[in-house]
Amino acid sequence: MTGDARELVRGWLGEDAHELDALSDADVVELHGALVAARRHQGRALAAATDEALRQMPAVLRGTVRRIVEH
Amino acid sequence: MAPDLATRAELVKLARALHTSPDRVAFAASLGPAGIRRLRERVVTALYDEHRAAFQRVAAISRVLPTPLNVRIALRAFSPLLAARVAGEMAPERAAELANRMPIEYLAQACVHLDPRRAVPVVARIRPDRAVAVVLALVAREEFITLGRLLEAATARIVEDVTNRVSDEAVLWIGCYAESDEHLTRVFTALPAERVRGVVHTALTGPAELRLAGLAMIGRLTDDRFRNRVADHAAEADDDVLTRMLTTAVEVGGLTELATAVDAMSEPARRRVLELPVLAEHETLRRHLLGR
Repeated sequence: MTGDARELVRGWLGEDAHELDALSDADVVELHGALVAARRHQGRALAAATDEALRQMPAVLRGTVRRIVEH
Repeated sequence: MAPDLATRAELVKLARALHTSPDRVAFAASLGPAGIRRLRERVVTALYDEHRAAFQRVAAISRVLPTPLNVRIALRAFSPLLAARVAGEMAPERAAELANRMPIEYLAQACVHLDPRRAVPVVARIRPDRAVAVVLALVAREEFITLGRLLEAATARIVEDVTNRVSDEAVLWIGCYAESDEHLTRVFTALPAERVRGVVHTALTGPAELRLAGLAMIGRLTDDRFRNRVADHAAEADDDVLTRMLTTAVEVGGLTELATAVDAMSEPARRRVLELPVLAEHETLRRHLLGR
């Protein structure tokens, strides 16, 4: 998991994320956990905001906008 | 050992970017402030870019609609979070045009979610009176991290209008979270002389965290002559106040910044601080202030 976490985080933050080289394996696992949680939090917040936006939109526009957003 | 003040401020900002608490990102302290900042910038980029394509498509729709209709749709259907993400994908002129027609409170909420890489050109194009109103709303919400990030976009007029209307505490907290030392220095050097003295007094006589914010500010100033002036204002405080500041620096962390401040004092002021009885009680203090 430790090696995987480092590779996953590097994949998200960029191959040239040299800051990761200065972090221990345990630190990178913590960073990985924080990033996973943040991505999940953001995904949920944006999905909720988008759903609410679509609900508020005039019905005539709703289908088109949904297709564009979820394209 | 407790991290220094600059590191702590960066940990707070990293935690904010990751939607978590500073203690959950304490592992990054070993990177130092510059390393944490670089890590945060990568985190912000990764998170903001993750859903970017969808927001770019919504921004593309808005291009074909007239501004008043865009504003109506946004206010009716978009949360400030969504509006901020879409605004980040618009041309800055277009985003500012919409912002100039939206309620201040809505804009203040949206500012918190604005992509920092795109915030500056948008904010710089918003009408100054509205920008000031948004900043004041953010101060009322104590959104000092957001304000510190937006400092780069503030014109001299905005800085003057805002600092005239907010408390010394707010000035100190915004400075504490300023993204760059140059922007922090620009704000503080723009303050009238008496206000600078007042801010220093407020920092010294406030709670421990405000004293630390004041110390951090002194440590980050890039104008040496101005730092000398600020340090001398600090030395005007009475012995009890100075002693409390020195003790806070030892107990909570801030010795590096304290040493910078004492070094910046004029000779009589420095001598007075170094002769305070508290130095005899704290070996760490003596080592930092005398043993260099």
